[in-house]
Amino acid sequence: MSDPKAMRELTCDEVRDLAGAYVLGALAAQDEAAMRAHLAAPSHSDAHPEIAELGSVLPAFAEIVPVVEPPAGLKARIMAAAAADQEARGGAVAAPLAPASPSTPAVIAAPAAIEAAGAAPPAPVAFPPAEERAVRRTRASTASWLLRIAAVLVIAVLGGWNLLLQSDLSAARTYQQNVSAVLDTAAQPGSLTAVLAGEGGTGAGLAAVDSAGNVAFAIRNLAPTSGAAVYEAWVIASDGVPVPLGGFQVGKDGTASFRASGLPTASGIVLALTLEPGPGATTPTLPIVSKGVASAAPG
Amino acid sequence: MTPADQPLPLRTSSAVDAADRAALLRIADGELAALEDLYDRYKTMAYSIAYRITNDATLAEDVVQDAFLGAWRNAARYVEGRGSVKTWLLSIVHHRAIDAIRRRRPTTDLPDVETAMPSALTLPDVWAEVAAGLDAAMVRSALAALSDVQREALELAYFGGLTQGEIAERTGTPLGTVKSRMRLGLLAMRRSLEVAST
Repeated sequence: MSDPKAMRELTCDEVRDLAGAYVLGALAAQDEAAMRAHLAAPSHSDAHPEIAELGSVLPAFAEIVPVVEPPAGLKARIMAAAAADQEARGGAVAAPLAPASPSTPAVIAAPAAIEAAGAAPPAPVAFPPAEERAVRRTRASTASWLLRIAAVLVIAVLGGWNLLLQSDLSAARTYQQNVSAVLDTAAQPGSLTAVLAGEGGTGAGLAAVDSAGNVAFAIRNLAPTSGAAVYEAWVIASDGVPVPLGGFQVGKDGTASFRASGLPTASGIVLALTLEPGPGATTPTLPIVSKGVASAAPG
Repeated sequence: MTPADQPLPLRTSSAVDAADRAALLRIADGELAALEDLYDRYKTMAYSIAYRITNDATLAEDVVQDAFLGAWRNAARYVEGRGSVKTWLLSIVHHRAIDAIRRRRPTTDLPDVETAMPSALTLPDVWAEVAAGLDAAMVRSALAALSDVQREALELAYFGGLTQGEIAERTGTPLGTVKSRMRLGLLAMRRSLEVAST
């Protein structure tokens, strides 16, 4: 094609010629768009059974790929992202449903793809109609540990989302990256997780302690430090004695990540932050800026 | 995470299909736990496909995340009767993986809208499977029965993410020949799989 931006109309013979490449995803973008436009036309909805015939082979390829296990932290990332997406849409259910149509074309099942190509989408068939889904809706849900982490992230990650809404995109991205790092720790077997919170949302965030006693913090809504002042992280075990973990400074974006090691790994330890006049504090300066109790993830 | 040279298990039982559809219903209602269920069921297949295509662990993670978010946001678009939930989901994974490696190739022409994620996640077309209950041995056998050039064309397209034009260029073959190899190769595989499943 000499003009890649121009979408030409395909004939039915051309569509049949391109059918194999189409179902394999091997068409260039402009050819794929032309193909979708042709198939989306009502007059062609039943004219190309060869598409479904060839496409029916595609699922077989998935059966012969070598097995590779995903990393443990991926699940937490996905759940956190879904929770953030849900919250960003005001807790609304997933994609808005188009009205069901009895005349939905037999071949095309992906309106979003057609929308992307700029062609008029066929009406999708709701799965099932919204009324039926409402009746079937399950009220109780299993409170797995990941779901709890996801719920935490409605606080934690969406804190980043709020930052984004405040036009502080850089801070939001930094915070979300920090949270991802904490989630990698949280996903490890035997880890402890703590939700950090302070007065009025100050110092909100998440921390995770792995089974070797390494801790990762992701914190937001901290007042910037100035001069030699630092935020000091503390761990308080069952003896009630605060043990300093180290200090860090905070810039204008109010976010911070912090790592330390050598923590006790018993459930119930308290993680806390204080603002100190300088590094090296051995006793905390009150008030506590933010704190949380680290506990094992429920099974 | 070393790829193991062993086939992925194939479960296309009606019970699994029913559980998958139930999970998708709950996802469409915004239930996070249902997404977790679906992830637990297909995480290995999804990641294996993504890794096979991208050959990059980080990129494969991004692909799988995009795919499950796509399922999360578009569960209501799933159409019963045009492929199982598993096929639908893994098609999204394949679609996103191909997009990902094409983006990595600077000369590839992609629609501008594809750069907007995740709100503009697109879904691939999905078709009913040629047969239920296929296993890896059947699929390998069907592939082995193809001519070398047909098999090469299919693998370069499905696993390599190459367009027909790129395949023609790489193999030094006229474009029309590549089109024919893909179409005839798929038809031959379909016939083999139909026979194998009976």
